[in-house]
Amino acid sequence: MRALILLAALALPGQAYAQAIVNSPGPGRVSVTVYRDPNRGLSSLNLGWLGGYALVSEKRRVQLPQGESELRFVGVTSGIVPQSAIVTGLGEAVLEKNRDARLLSPGALLDASLGERLHLRRTSKATGAVREQDAIVRATSDGVVVQTPDGVEALRCTGLPETLLADRVPADLSAKPTLSVRIRSPHPIEREVTLSYLTNNFDWQADYVAELSEAGDRISLFGWLTMANGDSTGLENAQTQAVAGKLNRQRVRVDPGEAKPISIQCWPQGSTSDIPEESEFIMVTGSRIAAYDIAPRAPPPPPPPPAAPERGGGDDIVAQEERLGDVRLYRVPIQVTVAAKSQKQIALMRQPAVKVESVLRLRPHDFGYGADVKRVLVSRNRTTEGLGLALPAGKVALFGRAGDRRILLGEGRIDDYTIGEKVEIPVSTSTGVLAQHLQVGQGETYHHELKLTNDLNQPRVVEVELPLSARASNGKLIKRDGWMLWRVTVPANGRAELSYRL
Amino acid sequence: MRLISLAALLGASTALAQPAAVPTQTAQGDVAVTIYNNDRALVEDKRLLDLPAGRSRQEFRDVSAQIQPETVTLNGRGIGIVEQNFDFDLLSPSALMQNAVGQTVTLVRVNPANGAEVRERAKILAANGGVVMQIGDRIEVLRDDGLPARVIFDGVPPSLRARPTLSVTLDADGGGRRPVTLTYLTPGLGWAADYVALFDEANGRMDVQGWITLTNNSGTPYINASTLLVAGSVGQSSNYGGGYGRYPSPPPPPPPPPGVIDRAGTETAGRERLGDFYLYPLPERTTIADKQTKQVSFLDVQNTPAARAYEFRNGWLSTADQPLSANTVLRFSSSRNQGLGDALPAGTVRVYQRDARGNPQFVGEHRIGHTPMGSDISLATGQAFDVKVRPVVEERTRLSGDRWRTRMRYTLTNAGPKPVTVDLVQAGLWGDTRITDQSMKSDRTSADETRWRVPVPANGEATVTATFDSRY
Repeated sequence: MRALILLAALALPGQAYAQAIVNSPGPGRVSVTVYRDPNRGLSSLNLGWLGGYALVSEKRRVQLPQGESELRFVGVTSGIVPQSAIVTGLGEAVLEKNRDARLLSPGALLDASLGERLHLRRTSKATGAVREQDAIVRATSDGVVVQTPDGVEALRCTGLPETLLADRVPADLSAKPTLSVRIRSPHPIEREVTLSYLTNNFDWQADYVAELSEAGDRISLFGWLTMANGDSTGLENAQTQAVAGKLNRQRVRVDPGEAKPISIQCWPQGSTSDIPEESEFIMVTGSRIAAYDIAPRAPPPPPPPPAAPERGGGDDIVAQEERLGDVRLYRVPIQVTVAAKSQKQIALMRQPAVKVESVLRLRPHDFGYGADVKRVLVSRNRTTEGLGLALPAGKVALFGRAGDRRILLGEGRIDDYTIGEKVEIPVSTSTGVLAQHLQVGQGETYHHELKLTNDLNQPRVVEVELPLSARASNGKLIKRDGWMLWRVTVPANGRAELSYRL
Repeated sequence: MRLISLAALLGASTALAQPAAVPTQTAQGDVAVTIYNNDRALVEDKRLLDLPAGRSRQEFRDVSAQIQPETVTLNGRGIGIVEQNFDFDLLSPSALMQNAVGQTVTLVRVNPANGAEVRERAKILAANGGVVMQIGDRIEVLRDDGLPARVIFDGVPPSLRARPTLSVTLDADGGGRRPVTLTYLTPGLGWAADYVALFDEANGRMDVQGWITLTNNSGTPYINASTLLVAGSVGQSSNYGGGYGRYPSPPPPPPPPPGVIDRAGTETAGRERLGDFYLYPLPERTTIADKQTKQVSFLDVQNTPAARAYEFRNGWLSTADQPLSANTVLRFSSSRNQGLGDALPAGTVRVYQRDARGNPQFVGEHRIGHTPMGSDISLATGQAFDVKVRPVVEERTRLSGDRWRTRMRYTLTNAGPKPVTVDLVQAGLWGDTRITDQSMKSDRTSADETRWRVPVPANGEATVTATFDSRY
């Protein structure tokens, strides 16, 4: 043992360990840019499991002594991707960046005390008298074995209330995973440093509220920027941005931190009056942070706000759009607080009159499309149609008016649409116009028949898209975008039929 | 803290006087760690052992908790190895009781009403399902009545250990302290590179910083280790068959996605090499704590040329329901003259661009494999919001039994304020597909693919049509 200590001391070059620890308690100014889950597609936000991410950029003022020091960044999010952390402002002084995920937990405390002297405290259930004696921890992996002046004993196998007490916390255990940099500087430093990092467990989407005009040829479109923070760390008064577009992400494994519980296990404890199921394995304590951070299930996302804020009062705060490389950035013009485990909404756009055409569409041979007649609002993303701005992917709720009352007509989702594109918003399934698709005949006479019925007292235009090989015997098919299109007006309370071969 | 550095300077005798000042007590000596990319490391630990002459058993503590004991070698002058053991018979209450069968322990019964203690000696007869013991001339089951009772064992059997322990029985030619070198392989240590690329699109330049990221999940810290990183994966025999699977080997890292290196380089970087591998020594000794991710800078290049490009690949002669975004690609070189001027170890490149206020924003990332110096690199960082392509099958007719004619139209749109060029790739051509007619010239880059370079004006669109004569 003497030799080993000697060796350890010999191996230390003069400067090792002689470093001061400087804690930076929290960010001064913070900026957050939220990115969507690249794999979520068109499904909605799940607040309990957010697959998007965010870039957090913090300014912190630090004072560092001359020589070697360790600067610890406290108050970073728990979803931080440590590989992505960038510290700027310290230049050449940075020796290395570290992230430590050994957490202080009951199990880690005992593990770190292996072979060391702790205190064993026993309290008498009869008299309340407390007795303490020294105990050396001998084993912790499969139950706890301690050595006392009496001999060797197993912890909590006696039926007595007993526990182990330590004098101090081991230096290398911390409450949360810690990001730190090791610094060497020839003179004291006082300056502002910027820490930026990617963090998981954020997400955002657009939520559109559309109201159909009475004539049915226009909608007023209001968009929310809905962002969610699933992290346990909130970002106070943050300059906030959101990025629309699909960016490539690599899968990274981030160690959530190891928090071991104490495992108490005893020798066989069967008795003459055993009930077979009795378990001899007791977990004394659970871990606050398990291997996966199982957050209490967040409440389901609130339905899109029923009404866009009415005009008239003050002006809304509306996010400002700008181009960022090949994607779009939306900047929230004021500083907001993105609280922990919360969802926040800010106006994204307001387009009071967007020209739309309401089209019924059917693809009887498209497996993914289904056999129902879909109602689609079609427009073009141009200023002449009342649009002409990037539309980030999101959910659309379409409302109409019946007298004074607002009613929900349908809900749909859109993907990212850029300027100039044809915009199609599927909103509902038609219940007035129904389709029946039959395959009739055999051999030479085999063909398809499609029957459309309309129970409304108004005519409806239906677009039926058939495969390129379709040839109709009683209707006109025209080629459009890789489909053979049958565009037909189904008369009020009437029907229309098509028979075709493939 | 000052004491320890002083002690180290003064040397052995004073250091012994201050053992309490060693912050982390470790049995490790002078440690050198060589880390490979595939979750594998070679640890070399030079320790000073106080050996008696002749045979002795030495335990090696503070080796990796995931040590592969079959790879251990021990070297030292004048010592021979008799045998080497890796013991994982762990000390636990249960093992303690099993070992006490046939022996006598002290039983302390505690009266639940008044706390009075009664001491007895008990002989353990069996510990199967419950503990049966003999006290005097009575046979009793331990705590059958549910009353509190402490069992005190006289000692810990020497064969039981708190942790799995490597022990070696040595035969030394003389007594005294001597250095020995312990070498072993362990999983749980690995590294990758992480690159931060700040792209200045307007000037076609980028700044790149490279970081070595090493991770330690081996269960053990390596104190003040001299660290060398090897850019490469050493062969690892699989654990099928003979392995007992105590520590299953991790799955091999996924192959780098295709198309990252356009042209592999042939230049030799000015880095240390061993055989094929590039070596990255850390400049200073460092302590690699358990569960730690450590990053050290290894590359910092300013103002290297870089350009944005667009690619779209249509996998088969098919129609898209709506226009699809083209991939946005960052092109740069690792060559000495017009690039980063270094070999790039495998890792993730994160690309940033400045927003209107000058703040860097993240715009996508991509993994690269080990990339030689002089390579041309294309990284797909994401999909363009404004550049889209819609492939449409215009016509499909059967020519003869198994020949088909397919007429394709590709509509390329650009909603951005600058003209762009899109590399439009039609794949799925299966070798004998011919292009009989096309509106602009294409390159048949392989039997399966053909490529058009299509200029698309700012806020405009371009159309390419082509007719394919294919089997099926």
